[in-house]
Amino acid sequence: MRPLDRRALGRALSRIANASVAESLAGMQGTSPNAYRIGMTGPPGAGKSTLIGRFARRRLDGGAQVAVVAIDPSSPLTHGAILGDRIRMDHIADNLRLFIRSLASRGANDGLADNIADVLATLDSYPFDEVILETVGVGQAEHAVRSLVDTLVLVLIPESGDQIQAMKAGMLEMADVYVINKADLPGADKIAREIRAVLKLKQRVGASWAPPVIMTGAADANGIAALDEAVSRHQAYLRNSTNTEEVQRRRLEYHLKSLMIRSVAEILARETNSTAESLHAAYARVVESLRKGIGR
Amino acid sequence: MSNLKGKRIMIAKPGLDGHDIGAKIIALALRDAGAEVIYTGLRKTPGFIARVAVDEDVDAVGLSLLSGSHKELVAETMRELKALDAGDIPVFVGGTIPVEDRATLIEAGVVGIFTAEMRLDDVVAELARRLSPEQAA
Ligand SMILES: Nc1nc2c(ncn2[C@@H]2O[C@H](COP(=O)(O)OP(=O)(O)O)[C@@H](O)[C@H]2O)c(=O)[nH]1
Ligand SMILES: [Mg+2]
Repeated sequence: MRPLDRRALGRALSRIANASVAESLAGMQGTSPNAYRIGMTGPPGAGKSTLIGRFARRRLDGGAQVAVVAIDPSSPLTHGAILGDRIRMDHIADNLRLFIRSLASRGANDGLADNIADVLATLDSYPFDEVILETVGVGQAEHAVRSLVDTLVLVLIPESGDQIQAMKAGMLEMADVYVINKADLPGADKIAREIRAVLKLKQRVGASWAPPVIMTGAADANGIAALDEAVSRHQAYLRNSTNTEEVQRRRLEYHLKSLMIRSVAEILARETNSTAESLHAAYARVVESLRKGIGR
Repeated sequence: MSNLKGKRIMIAKPGLDGHDIGAKIIALALRDAGAEVIYTGLRKTPGFIARVAVDEDVDAVGLSLLSGSHKELVAETMRELKALDAGDIPVFVGGTIPVEDRATLIEAGVVGIFTAEMRLDDVVAELARRLSPEQAA
């Protein structure tokens, strides 16, 4: 395996995270999908970072070279952020086959970060076997991350009652693996039962993958082994069944969408600093800027 | 007052003492000034700190020091950064730094020394001046 040039990768990721739309477009190289991507999503505080720390240790023990990209929210007011995910992965951070990058969500409000598609594409040109992506976990994070990863893990906790309601309403049915974390807390069995029931209802006829529901808890080694095994099983399943073109199409679509959204944000920041202007005039000018083409 | 917007700053605690209140207060103040703060728990070795700084490609490393062996810890952290081709990442220190040691630290290349008596606003302003001189002008 090629050794990892951490300094070069670190710098490349900063460049990409700070790039304007025009710069992103200019710097886009057609990297082909490389690393196997695992997304971990779920509400803030569900224990995603802690779980990733334990999960990644098993993947590392299996010999893999692993990158973790962990996103924390930016304050919409000050733009500041505390990037605290990696502190939960400290116990594995001495492993040189592991690379952790913390990102602030910045302008993105889909649970990911600005330029995340470019960040992941960049990691594809480095020798990683697996990339684990942790979302902010608010709003409809599942949609966006679904487009970008191969295996999506949804982490819920015994207190996630409203998430179950959302699942029933058809909002959270995109995951490949479900985890009930903090299974050491009361109520875990109940929520696992509920999720299994909902999944059974939602199971499509003829679907060849039935998402497992796994219980994990702070001091429980069996749970994390089960998660490790479930992810590997899904990985093997994908190897035989993935429609590579469809995956590429989904990723491209997400990439384009995020470039468009950022273009609009850039234009707004540039063009509408006058509050005296009428809404109509401002709108007309924004549309005009878009017509002239993004990346101006 | 978001004058650290977009700056990635690592706050680290080398050494053996178990107090990180000061480090946390600084981390929050930097965040409120717009910075993206990477905070890495207690008792980290200089080698570990340097490696995280490289992986995260931070714009500055702040070392919170209370333990008395600050001169050695600072020198070692800077040595480790250089060894990783990251000697250009500025290092600042905070905590209890005796007056007589400050000159040595500045000589070693530390870009700022922030003690507990300083107002947080002043710390932020000084860091902003150091990290983006063009903006503060
Ligand atoms: N009781 C219990 N607490 C946990 C468990 N996993 C994580 N936590 C705690 O939950 C809190 C949030 O964890 P974190 O990993 O940061 O969650 P994230 O926001 O989803 O990334 C922390 O205080 C953890 O110590 C668990 O299995 N059981
Ligand atoms: Mg987290």
